[in-house]
Amino acid sequence: MDAWDKALGRAMFTEDYYVDYLLANALFIKQVLSPMPHARIKKIDASRALSISGVHGVFTASSIPGENQVGYAIPDQPLIAEGKVRYAGELVALVAASDFDKAIRGAEEVVVDYEPLPALLDPLEAMERRDVLVHEERGSNIAFQTRVRKGNVEEGFSKAHVVVENEYRLHHQEHAYLETEAALAIPESEGRVTVIGALQYPHLGQKIVSRVLGVPMSKVKIVAPYIGGGFGGKDDEGPLTCAKAALVAYLTGRPAFILYSREDSIRVHPKREAAVIRYKSGVDAGGKLTAIEVTIIHDTGAYANRGPFILWRATMHASGPYEVPNAKVDGYAVYTNKVYQGSFRGFGNLSIQFAVERQMDLLAEKLGLDPVEFRLRNILREGSYTLTSQLLDHSVGVGEALKRVAEKADWWRKRREIEEFNKSSERFKRGIGVAVAWHGISTSRAVPDWSNAYVKVELDGSVTVYTGIVEMGQGSPTSSHVQIVSEILGVPVDKVKVVFATTEAPDSGATHASRGTGIGGLGVLVAAAKIRERLASLAGRVLGVDPGELEFKDGRVYSRRDPSKSISWRDLVREAYARGVEVSATGYYYLPKGRFDESTGQGFAYPAYSYIVLVTEVEVDTRTGLVRVLRVYPGLASGKIINPKQVEGQIEGAIAQAIGYTLMEYLYFDEYGRVLNANFTDYVIPTPKDIPEIEKPVYVEDKFRHGAFGAKGVGEMALIPGPASIANAVAHALGVNITSTPLTPWRLLEYIKRSPRG
Amino acid sequence: MVVSEIPPINITARNTRIIPFEYEYYEPRSLKEVLELLDRYGDQARILAGGTDLLVKMKARLVEPRVVINVKKIDGLRYIVEDGEQVRIGALTRLRDVENSELVKKYIPALHDAVKSMGSIQIRNMATIGGNLCNASPAADTAPPLLVHNAKVVLSSVGGDRVLPLAEFFKGPGLTMLKPNELLREIIVEKSIAGSSAFKKVSRVAVDLAIASAAVYVEVEDGFIRNARIALGSVAPKPLRAVKTESLLRGLRIDSREVLNALKTIDEEISPITDVRSTAEYRRYASKVLVLDALEVAYARLKGGVHG
Repeated sequence: MDAWDKALGRAMFTEDYYVDYLLANALFIKQVLSPMPHARIKKIDASRALSISGVHGVFTASSIPGENQVGYAIPDQPLIAEGKVRYAGELVALVAASDFDKAIRGAEEVVVDYEPLPALLDPLEAMERRDVLVHEERGSNIAFQTRVRKGNVEEGFSKAHVVVENEYRLHHQEHAYLETEAALAIPESEGRVTVIGALQYPHLGQKIVSRVLGVPMSKVKIVAPYIGGGFGGKDDEGPLTCAKAALVAYLTGRPAFILYSREDSIRVHPKREAAVIRYKSGVDAGGKLTAIEVTIIHDTGAYANRGPFILWRATMHASGPYEVPNAKVDGYAVYTNKVYQGSFRGFGNLSIQFAVERQMDLLAEKLGLDPVEFRLRNILREGSYTLTSQLLDHSVGVGEALKRVAEKADWWRKRREIEEFNKSSERFKRGIGVAVAWHGISTSRAVPDWSNAYVKVELDGSVTVYTGIVEMGQGSPTSSHVQIVSEILGVPVDKVKVVFATTEAPDSGATHASRGTGIGGLGVLVAAAKIRERLASLAGRVLGVDPGELEFKDGRVYSRRDPSKSISWRDLVREAYARGVEVSATGYYYLPKGRFDESTGQGFAYPAYSYIVLVTEVEVDTRTGLVRVLRVYPGLASGKIINPKQVEGQIEGAIAQAIGYTLMEYLYFDEYGRVLNANFTDYVIPTPKDIPEIEKPVYVEDKFRHGAFGAKGVGEMALIPGPASIANAVAHALGVNITSTPLTPWRLLEYIKRSPRG
Repeated sequence: MVVSEIPPINITARNTRIIPFEYEYYEPRSLKEVLELLDRYGDQARILAGGTDLLVKMKARLVEPRVVINVKKIDGLRYIVEDGEQVRIGALTRLRDVENSELVKKYIPALHDAVKSMGSIQIRNMATIGGNLCNASPAADTAPPLLVHNAKVVLSSVGGDRVLPLAEFFKGPGLTMLKPNELLREIIVEKSIAGSSAFKKVSRVAVDLAIASAAVYVEVEDGFIRNARIALGSVAPKPLRAVKTESLLRGLRIDSREVLNALKTIDEEISPITDVRSTAEYRRYASKVLVLDALEVAYARLKGGVHG
């Protein structure tokens, strides 16, 4: 296999790494992006760019040796635009040069001849249009549809004592991770390529790179070092970043490096979905929900990307964490000529929970019930059936979490006090709001999901773990995986090393959907447990005791009944090596899935749900329209909390993102669908001064059968009901019905003007 | 919508982590050297003081100077001194120095308010007051307070100094009366002795450019406004004084409804635009709220001698 490479001098010996990596041999890549929202590419002229000294190559769709197809859910997306561009910011060509400066100049000299096409920017318009299609081959601008049909909605509404109906509009959100997208691809001998890149799922990067290059996956190695924030953005764009660098490395035979500028990052990568949600709900005189009728329209932008998964998530969570006997939900993901939608912490769910939780407050108000009390009457519990008619047989701690958070926040007293305060305060109004959310754990429906990891015990008793789970600031592999191994094998944490984010490990699934610890950690747990079982049996023989009574703790293995019967972990491992007991194992765990009927949206949706409650206090300056979040009380029912510090970090970060989304952040599109605020001067995110007091979370540890130690998932949770919780508090402060985001000062003044009190 | 011609936008595709072009770099050690360099290179040169505006623009290649003159290393332009009824501030004084200055807090309280609201501490440790003025952003937060304190700027060149009222210094976004060979050397500010001042702004997040800002200086006698000066930021191509409104305020009872009525005139004096940061309507509306708020704070300071 290696003969040719060795004969041709391509095989890598130690000195070759020095030449390739340490000498200035790498190429720098700059992207040529479309300025047009929708246009046919008539011609790409790279001659001027190529005449710049130092510009090594210009690569377009036709340069791709494999398949120019990177759509995750629907095969509708090229890596590099082919034939036409569908949004301003779409990649048209890659320019590789000997340094950054030359790559930038080269990119400016690539001349693309576009034939403009009519651009569709409004999803409601795009749904109706047949004459202009973002994807001609698909025959419609509706990329994907979902539905739920449960019970009889007409009958449900006929029993309703109160009906509330609203149209909600939620906006895009930019991830604003500190580190922009980056990848370094290194060509190796035998046509192999290694990519060091910022992505959330190395094995998906491997698949995409292999497809684009047309080489087997086994020849592609991907490693993600520490990642400077992902939030889903690097789940979508990360593999594509790797593919861009890999393409140039593969075609030139030189290491190739791509680093997005902030402006490029914001213009290129997918955003949180913008949504239009029409929501009607009915409730009977006893305060029980009788029916919901919901239409969800996602502006999916130029490509479907993960749109179908996002839409399914929105659809199956459309009831909120409440019992609803009758439901009709229709979801549409609609193509437009704007930057496409993608994964962002709590995808699909944030927008629908906003609608649900605004509805719940409005229903409570009409019924004259307290918002917490009304929610408790309808909350899911063990034995409840969900929107998809799935029986919840365990791990449903949401009701208790809601009660405990309300008590901790002193909800009832505060609500009265605030209403008193507002009577005497003319300018500043205060409000307190609650929002509850649920979030399905694992992939939805029958989409396969598994965990896997490789654990080996070294000769000196230290332990090395290999996982594809990445470290992006959340701490799953570096904290909780270490804890899991340490707990099971009784090895001190400083003896455990986790090699994370590599395709050298078995496919562990992505680090997304709050799964890094709960599900990602399962593989680690299973592998460690296998080794423990083998070593327990060995120790039993050595010590002459029943393996069942052995304790693995603090670097020792001993009998629980007679602790003097003991062997040090290190000696036990040496015994294992000497006696032929295998001390390495993979840990594979396949999550149970059930039947789901996509035509009715009924059946098994998720193995379990994580739940969260947020109570938020705000103060509104009714003259300037500025909202200040004063305090947030979080509560989680996410199963076992493995590492409380880590969980608090996740909650605080998510609340900051929720505040940013609700009050400060928005993409500003011009009439051509271009993002005008593609930098951090104009797209602002909250600063430490904007973050309020966040109280210690309330935990209800409603353990999950299929999670590591009973953990469900935490990462996304606090962001999901955040906007609803703030909006409910603002609505309470002002007595207005809030139906759209962001709550910028100027929009808030509009609400105040329209309010009956104002 | 079919688009054949798309107008360019301000977002630059060229931004990198580095400054992606070559330039000559000077680190003069004295004012004299700076002025000589400026005389030699004129508009080919840019002055680097704190760098918090210039480097961002260079990184994005919004400006591509052939020569960069770093003036940070010269002595003698970083000071805040009392001079009779005036306070003199060296152009290289850091915003953080201004913030911590007891003189400023006592005699130019609006400026103290303004610098406190600007950027993060890290930015304020770097940015200079002269740089903020020369960058000539309509949103420059030091401008409105200095305008209501009748500030003057001293512009130096090899030919000598000239003094200009700050109100005449700004020409438009990024444009000033500085000649290519001139350096802003000093700012001369009138102390508030008979009156007091305050500054207010609204921004999207705590560390952010102003959506709108206002500074007010007021003298009050027996509850009546004897003299008022108002300056506004982010609502016109340059920071400006609302002189018409000022004259209407003179003689009114400070807590009367007439003050509210007079503030309506602000509408005629400003020309805000809608952009990524806010809407023109909101800026119009917020300007009046900010002036009223600043007036209230300035009056409270006057009554109570509170400077906080």
